[in-house]
Amino acid sequence: MREIAHLVLVLGVICSLSAAALAYVRTSLAGRIEMQEDFYVRGPALERLFKQPAEGLLTEKLTVPVGDQTYPVFYLREAGEVTGLAVEAAGHGGYSGDIVIMIGLDPRDDRVLGVEIVSHSETPGVGAKVELASFRQQWTGLTLDQPVSLTSDGGGIDAITGATFSSRAMVDGTNQVVEMLRDHRQEILLLIEERSSGGAVSGGEG
Amino acid sequence: MNFRQTLTHGLWRDLPPFRMVLGLCPTLAVTATAENGLGMGIAVTFVLIFSNMFISLLRKVIPDKVRIASYIVVIATLVVIVELAMKAFFFPLSQQLGIYIPLIVVNCIILGRAEAFASRNPVHLSMADGLSVGLGFSISLTLVGSIREILGVGTWFGMAVFPDSFEPFGFMVQAPGAFLCLGLLLGLMNAWSRRRGEFFIQT
Amino acid sequence: MDLFLLVIGSIFVNNILLAQYLGNCPFCGVSKKLGPAIGMGVAVIFVSTLASIFTWIVYHYLLEPQGLEYLKTLVFILVIAALVQFVEIFIKKQSKGLYDSLGIFLPLITTNCAVMGIALLNIKHGFDFVEMIVFSASSAAGFALAILLFASVRERLFISSVPVAMRGTAIALVTAGVMSLAFMGFAGMTN
Repeated sequence: MREIAHLVLVLGVICSLSAAALAYVRTSLAGRIEMQEDFYVRGPALERLFKQPAEGLLTEKLTVPVGDQTYPVFYLREAGEVTGLAVEAAGHGGYSGDIVIMIGLDPRDDRVLGVEIVSHSETPGVGAKVELASFRQQWTGLTLDQPVSLTSDGGGIDAITGATFSSRAMVDGTNQVVEMLRDHRQEILLLIEERSSGGAVSGGEG
Repeated sequence: MNFRQTLTHGLWRDLPPFRMVLGLCPTLAVTATAENGLGMGIAVTFVLIFSNMFISLLRKVIPDKVRIASYIVVIATLVVIVELAMKAFFFPLSQQLGIYIPLIVVNCIILGRAEAFASRNPVHLSMADGLSVGLGFSISLTLVGSIREILGVGTWFGMAVFPDSFEPFGFMVQAPGAFLCLGLLLGLMNAWSRRRGEFFIQT
Repeated sequence: MDLFLLVIGSIFVNNILLAQYLGNCPFCGVSKKLGPAIGMGVAVIFVSTLASIFTWIVYHYLLEPQGLEYLKTLVFILVIAALVQFVEIFIKKQSKGLYDSLGIFLPLITTNCAVMGIALLNIKHGFDFVEMIVFSASSAAGFALAILLFASVRERLFISSVPVAMRGTAIALVTAGVMSLAFMGFAGMTN
């Protein structure tokens, strides 16, 4: 009995020390990991959407919680006006998991600037065709006032032949953004104003 | 073994994975490019040095019956630290290496050194052993990675080494090339050892 | 998702051993004779499927809700090690014959990267419960198939005259390369 207690004690002490060490490392690196992820995973998509270097855009990040999901939102502000919003959403129902997309839109006329794929694990040559510009350009110019759907479901988006699942995941992601923007558009714009006016005021006075 | 021998044995006498046939999976899996090989080697070296250190420090405290379990906890903790650190500082590399970073945990070299060396030697020797074996492993991985990258892609650490007219044989960066390359290297190493009259692997 | 394609894909196209390089230590270690190779193959199928079920449940119902995903490496290896211990004790009590044929392989399986690798791949691919079981069982079956074929080749190899320096692990790796090349012929079957 004493022996077993000894064994358990030693293992317990080793485990708790390791847990403490890991918790410490994790908390001290969490911020950096998030920055790196943003830069390498979201950066390229953001750069293509707004045609600007990602470094400046990534710092302008908002997270909008809706239900149990959170949507990362990035924005572009030129001459006191918000000229671009980029919303990221994970489209469910892809052939092998979620397709994470980023939709860029111009909040002045609510037209879509374009859609970019942030990450996916679809089959190369089939589902991976969602990356093709010829497929994605169907989004450009859409107005996001109502949900989109595939032509086979009576909508306006032509699916990729043989990759209906992947196409549907894209549509799902888009509709999440549509819904999110319908409910939170004003809130997001206000938040951006607040942030940048804070910066502008202090800049002006200085 | 004295200190100097401990510090150098991993570089030739027990060079993993050629003369100490352990840790074949990462040697095959992450050596499509020299950079990946080197990155993996450094990660393994880090884990080896510190796992040997902690296990040697704890060797009188850990009861014999739970020693393997304790080693696994120590090693896995270090691997998670490496995983987090790689994500924070070398993100593209960590994406490239993928699941092979967490798989360092089941790399037999690390558990092997813990059991065969660190559990019965003082701390400074154990750390030297970890450094030596880890360096040897890094050199091997970089070597295999260089051969495969130069022949398979025509570059070395991403720099072009051949004129444009060179047609790289893509076979080398795929799975069959990995097995073939490692097998032939092992054969060469054996032939060389045999000529010098040293022991060589023949099992 | 088509489960049949998943089975074919994980046994042949993305064979865990010949295309994903996982589980090479036992591959070279216990493939000299056909008998032990079969034992190892069966043991891996059994343990790997069980381990995947446990790790999948632990990950989705314990780690994920708590935001502790980063601990998965540590937790998975402990789950696998504990599981292998239990299986060993259980088999020892239940069936002497089975223990004699499988028992010696079980400790080796803890550090078999195929088992840990399959558990990690399940998470990486985001499989649901059914897909996870199908994927784990068929990946492990792919491992068993490869090690079986390989053992048969090596039994022949034993009686042929191989250059001295290439004997043993060296020729085994080259042979594995040729087999891997043959398995590459399956690529494209699932698309």
